[in-house]
This record gives sequence, C-alpha cells and structure tokens, in this order.
Amino acid sequence: MFEVRTVWGRILLQVVVTLLVLPFLFPLIAMVQGSFAGDGWRNYAAVLAVPGLPRFFRNTVVIAAGTIAIVYVVTMLAAYGFGKLRIRGREVYFWLLLACLTLPEVVLLTPLFTTAQAFGFFDTYWAVILPLAALQVPFAVLLARNFVQGIPDELFEAARVDGGTVINGFRHLVIPLTRPIAAAVLIFTLIGAWNNYLFPLVFLQSTEMQTITLVPQYFVGQFSNDQTKILASAVITAIPEVVAYLCLQRLFERGLAAGAIK
Amino acid sequence: MAETSVAERGLREGPAPATRGGGRRGRLQPPGLPWILPALVLCVGLIYYCIWYTALISTWDWDGIDPNPERVGAENYLRIAQDPIFWATIRHTIVFFVVTFVVQTALGLIFAVLLHSKVRLAVVYKVIIFIPVVLAPAITAPVFRRMYAPDGQVNALLEFVGLGSLAQPWIGQESTALPVIMAVTVWQWTGLTFVLYFAAMGQIDQSTIEAARIDGAGNFRTLTHIIWPGVRGTTLAMAILSAIGALKTFDVPYLITVGGPNYATEFLGTYIYRKTITQSHIGYGAALSIILLVLALVMALILQVRGGEKRVVR
Repeated sequence: MFEVRTVWGRILLQVVVTLLVLPFLFPLIAMVQGSFAGDGWRNYAAVLAVPGLPRFFRNTVVIAAGTIAIVYVVTMLAAYGFGKLRIRGREVYFWLLLACLTLPEVVLLTPLFTTAQAFGFFDTYWAVILPLAALQVPFAVLLARNFVQGIPDELFEAARVDGGTVINGFRHLVIPLTRPIAAAVLIFTLIGAWNNYLFPLVFLQSTEMQTITLVPQYFVGQFSNDQTKILASAVITAIPEVVAYLCLQRLFERGLAAGAIK
Repeated sequence: MAETSVAERGLREGPAPATRGGGRRGRLQPPGLPWILPALVLCVGLIYYCIWYTALISTWDWDGIDPNPERVGAENYLRIAQDPIFWATIRHTIVFFVVTFVVQTALGLIFAVLLHSKVRLAVVYKVIIFIPVVLAPAITAPVFRRMYAPDGQVNALLEFVGLGSLAQPWIGQESTALPVIMAVTVWQWTGLTFVLYFAAMGQIDQSTIEAARIDGAGNFRTLTHIIWPGVRGTTLAMAILSAIGALKTFDVPYLITVGGPNYATEFLGTYIYRKTITQSHIGYGAALSIILLVLALVMALILQVRGGEKRVVR
C-alpha cells in the first residue's frame, strides 16, 4: 500500500512496525517470563502434577466439539432453507434469528439456571453446549446464507431435472460447495466455545466438570495465590490455542475475513 | 427494516443479492420451513424463552429461593433509574466503547497498511498481533493482574526508562483502573480489526492506487482518499460489533478488577452478575438484563440506520 523508495524509508517503516508491535508482545513475554520466576521449570512440574488438569482439557474439548457439531448441522440446514428454498415470511424468521446476535450472555443466566435445574441438566455438558450453540448459530447462519445464495440456481435446477430430491441437492451441492464458509463457522465457534468463561463458571459447579478457562482461578485456590504457578498454568492452557492458530493460520484469517467481506 | 436485518446489512458490503421469495422461480422451489426449524427451535426457542422469562422475573422482588416471590411491577426499573451505580456503568460503557473503538480502528488500520507495504517478516508481526484474539481473557487475566500490580512489569518498565515517577498501583486506584481495562481490551481485539482491514485492503483495486500515485498523490493522501473510503464497510461492521461488544463486556473487568475499586470498572454485565449471582437480587438483575438487551438492540438499529444513510450518500 505504502510506497517507499529509499533504503532509509524502508528501514524507518520496519522500525515503526516493530515499535508498534512491542506492546502486543510485552504481555506474552511477561506471561512466559513470570511463569519461570522462582522455581523455574518446577512451576510447570507442580502444575502438571495437579490431578485435575487432563480432565479440564477433556471437558473443554467435549464442549467445543459438541458446540461445533450442533452449530454446523443446524447452520447448514438453515442456510439452505433461507438461501434456496421457499419459506413464507422468510425475512421475519431471519430477522428473529439475527436479533439474537445482539444478545448478551448474562441475560441468559437466570432463566437457564432455573431451566437447567428443572430439567436436570445442570452441571452437565448440555448446560454449556446448548446456550453456546444458540448464541453462535445466528452469526453462522448469516454467513452461510449469504454464501449459499451465491451458488447459482441453475445447479439446483439441473439436479432437480435429473430427478434429484431436495435432500440430494443438500448433500451433493450445499455440503461440498460451502466448505470455505464452513471453515469460517468452525473457527468462530471454536474460539467462542473454547474461550467461554461465564457459562462454565455458572453452570458447571463440580470440580470434575470444570473447563480450562476456569483453570487459573482453580489454581488460585490450589496454590494459595502463588502467582508463578498460576502463570505457568496460564501458559499451559494457552499453548493449545496458540498451536492451533499457528497450524490453521491461513484458515483463521480467511475464515474471519470471509465474515467481514461477505 | 423488515426485509434486510440489522447485522446483515452492516456486515455485508454492496447491494443485497436479489433473491426474494415470490416470482415464478419461488413457486417452483420446495418448501424450506423444515430446514430452518432446528435453528429456530434452538435459537428463537431457547433465547426468546429466556428473554420472556427474564422479563417476567424483572417484575419480581426475588432472592432465587423463595417459592412465592413478591410481584412488584415496575419497581425494579424505577429503582434502577435512581441507582447511581447503574448510571456509572452506562458512563463506563460509553467511554469504553469510544476509546477502544477509536484506538483499535487506528491501530488496525495502521498495521494493515504497513504490513501491506514491503515490510520484512510480515508474518511474524501478524502472528504476534493476532495471538491475543485466540487467547481466552480468562487465561490472560492473571498476566495482566501481575503486570499492572504495584511491583509488576509495567512499573518496572517505567522505572527502567527513567519515568519511575509515573509508577502507580494501576488496578488499585479508581482513576487508572478503567484505562487498564480498556488497554487490555485493545490488546485483545486489535488483531481482529487488523485482519479484517488487511483482507478488505486486499480487495481494493490496485490500479486505482496506481492511478492516484501517477496523479501525484502521496502516501498520506492515498490513505485518506482511497484506502479509508475503500474499507468503510469493514469500519462500519466493526463499529456495530464494538458497540454491542462494549455492552456485553464481562470477562475482562470481572477477572481483572471484579468491577472495582469502588465500582470504577463496573459494567452492565458485571453489575448484573454481582446483583444476580453474588447478591441474589434476581429480580433486580433481571430488570438490568432487560435494559441491557434493549440498549443493545437500539444501538444496533441506530448504527444500522446511520450506516444506511451514508451508503445512500455515496
């Protein structure tokens, strides 16, 4: 974008970017450095020796996977319905769905709390998966519908002329053609579900149901506020997220960009 | 408004794809209601049920246990109108939105422009800026509590560069607690703004920029006259997302300052949590929730309508 002709200009540019990035790097360095303070590697050993840790990771994986599965299925079905099929009062339904985009999750606390207790799924995965999915679906449908609308009608008509059913159209056209946007939906849902704090905090009370976002607070109790070990636990829980991002970097950025440009 | 919805128009640039129900083709299409039913049941069912239920208990004086809560009508709402902490949360939310949105937009734009220029190791910079987006606030909060502590790294850094007189208990005093919350939020979300701008700039026609260059436009003029208008759709979408995000703010203030000191970083979200969970004033919390919901919807509508006007002007 910027045109820099001289060598000095180029160096200046590089220096400016570096200076601007430093504040973003600083907390990450502080995190790693703090986790090694005092006992060094033994902080990590102490954190890893806590029996609950693998369990926390498993809970988060189950919740993220469950949420992604529900969001994906529900979104793709709805995107096909909204994008290519006949629905009377379609925009009303769509508007109802999109109004949910503005919904803050705190609003759901009390009703879900009482409902979850009444139906007996309090302190189970469902108490977190269902509201998480419900909050992710509107945005996912918005993205996916725009994408499905972009698929030429002729493809669906050709399929119908060849005797294909609506379900076949979905299976053989929508599912394969929506892969790029499905990646975006997956990334959004993954970040949302993996990082959610409030729902597990309120709806998962027993220790063996806790998720990794509750780990730092759990360790505050475990290590009576020993900051270095809390930071070590933060680094350990951050590693999978950073690795996942580095591995899927292109997918993350393309997915997010697809959400904005569409 | 009935035809194109709030977020849809904000998040999509350019004219709407022209597929509307009726017409000959429409009648040939098979019915789609069963296909959207799961989404409707999940979202509209669950969420609208919750809203209805919250609206109901917002008229109760309820501690969450009493089987026969007292019906008090609009009293909770009247009390909120006179609650100084409520008005403080509104002020914090407005300040928070304006500051974080402006700073994030500026930083995101600068990074996107610079990294679209010929900068070495651009990938490394990109990764560093984006990593905070994928980290949970719950994970990074202990780091920031440590960093901004009186004996934390921020004060140490000030000491190091000879500004030791500026060192202060950042989180512990009212005047600096909110700026800390805003700084953490900017740190967390600039990566997203940056990636969106970066992608949007990739869509700007290079020949337009070259033409401007040939006509003698410098870097600054190119930025203000071609790039900035070119990414307006993204800016608008980010404005809506930031405004709603500001109203929803919970994790960062709850985990770093717990709304304190002396309610200096209380937001609607943390206040609702404090009232509902900590103090068991469930009716009051529900009334706050309904107000929050209305504010979020109104905000989305306002930004939407204003955005629409600008689009027409162009």
